[in-house]
Amino acid sequence: MRRDVQILRAAINQKLIETGERERLKELLRAKLIECGWKDQLKAHCKEVIKEKGLEHVTVDDLVAEITPKGRALVPDSVKKELLQRIRTFLAQHASL
Amino acid sequence: MKMEEMSLSGLDNSKLEAIAQEIYADLVEDSCLGFCFEVHRAVKCGYFFLDDTDPDSMKDFEIVDQPGLDIFGQVFNQWKSKECVCPNCSRSIAASRFAPHLEKCLGMGRNSSRIANRRIANSNNMNKSESDQEDNDDINDNDWSYGSEKKGLWYLPFQNPNSPRRSKSLKHKNGELSNSDPFKYNNSTGISYETLGPEELRSLLTTVRDQGRGESDYFLPTRSLRCPQHTDEQRRTVRIYFLGPSAVFPEVESSLDNDSFDMTDSQALISRLQWDGSSDLSPSDSGSSKTSENQGWGLGTNSSESRKTKKKKSHLSLVGTASGLGSNKKKKPKPPAPPTPSIYDDIN
Repeated sequence: MRRDVQILRAAINQKLIETGERERLKELLRAKLIECGWKDQLKAHCKEVIKEKGLEHVTVDDLVAEITPKGRALVPDSVKKELLQRIRTFLAQHASL
Repeated sequence: MKMEEMSLSGLDNSKLEAIAQEIYADLVEDSCLGFCFEVHRAVKCGYFFLDDTDPDSMKDFEIVDQPGLDIFGQVFNQWKSKECVCPNCSRSIAASRFAPHLEKCLGMGRNSSRIANRRIANSNNMNKSESDQEDNDDINDNDWSYGSEKKGLWYLPFQNPNSPRRSKSLKHKNGELSNSDPFKYNNSTGISYETLGPEELRSLLTTVRDQGRGESDYFLPTRSLRCPQHTDEQRRTVRIYFLGPSAVFPEVESSLDNDSFDMTDSQALISRLQWDGSSDLSPSDSGSSKTSENQGWGLGTNSSESRKTKKKKSHLSLVGTASGLGSNKKKKPKPPAPPTPSIYDDIN
């Protein structure tokens, strides 16, 4: 069962990339996040982290470790809902393919 | 693929939903990572804190939210009640009326010349029965010709002396108002060219009223077609001198259309007109006119003359002066300011 799901997921991902839907979804998400102010909130958080750590000693790993969980949490529900809706639509469209 | 199709349709929604959630999570993670990379690059390149301002400046440019003020803190109609001092008449004028007032005061806008024209026409109509024709010309023309020449603009109606706004007493002070005429206008002897410099004379001779242009373009005295520098007597004598005793003295200089030149009876006119452009045409033109002059009143330059006369048709009123120039040419090779009164001296 698990393997089926895994195979299924791989197939769906492939489909997403092939049709270009993945890129479109990514752009849509980015635009929506900027619109709702998510990016500015996260930037303010970044500034605090950097001031804490010191400007010279910031590394990518540090940033990622600090920022990503906060970023995931800060996404507004409306954006989340809309994106999920689009993904489901895509799946439903390509279910019969 | 068929197996997957079947499995896809056979899966319940929860599995699909789980897949959708995973896809969504992947997308969000991509965005976060992208953001982190941007920030890290900004930090390392040094432009991350560039858009921050210090608290002092923040306080200066804070948004103002008081009634009666805009967000910058400025009052709305602050300039309505301000008054400006006009540099021309030294009156204090309201700010919103300042520009139109300047236009009228300096006499440089479109409307001001139109209004001045109308006023002149009105005052001329009123004064026509009162005084002599020549005097009217003198008084009315002062503001457009001699005084205003000093301003650099030929048709500038600067401080129209005939404006009804001015007091009546000003009417007699025209000479002083228009900035001390360089020319001594005298009805009997005409203008004295010796007092003029070459530039003044050039501008004087080249910008004679041209009735073909609209009134609104220039401030023109609309009454008389004759130039004020010579009297009718002078014109008559000159015409008789050149055209013979049977010359008809036209009431109005109407022969402005020179395109169809009648060869027989206009030869004298042509030859006279040879001198019209001598002061301001190119040397080649004046050179050709010189040679034709020496040959006598020849027809050889007729085509060039008709060309010249097309340009200078308004100079017919100065025909008398041109002929005067012709006789003097033989004495001096190229006089810059041809002394017109000499011909009148001969005749008189």
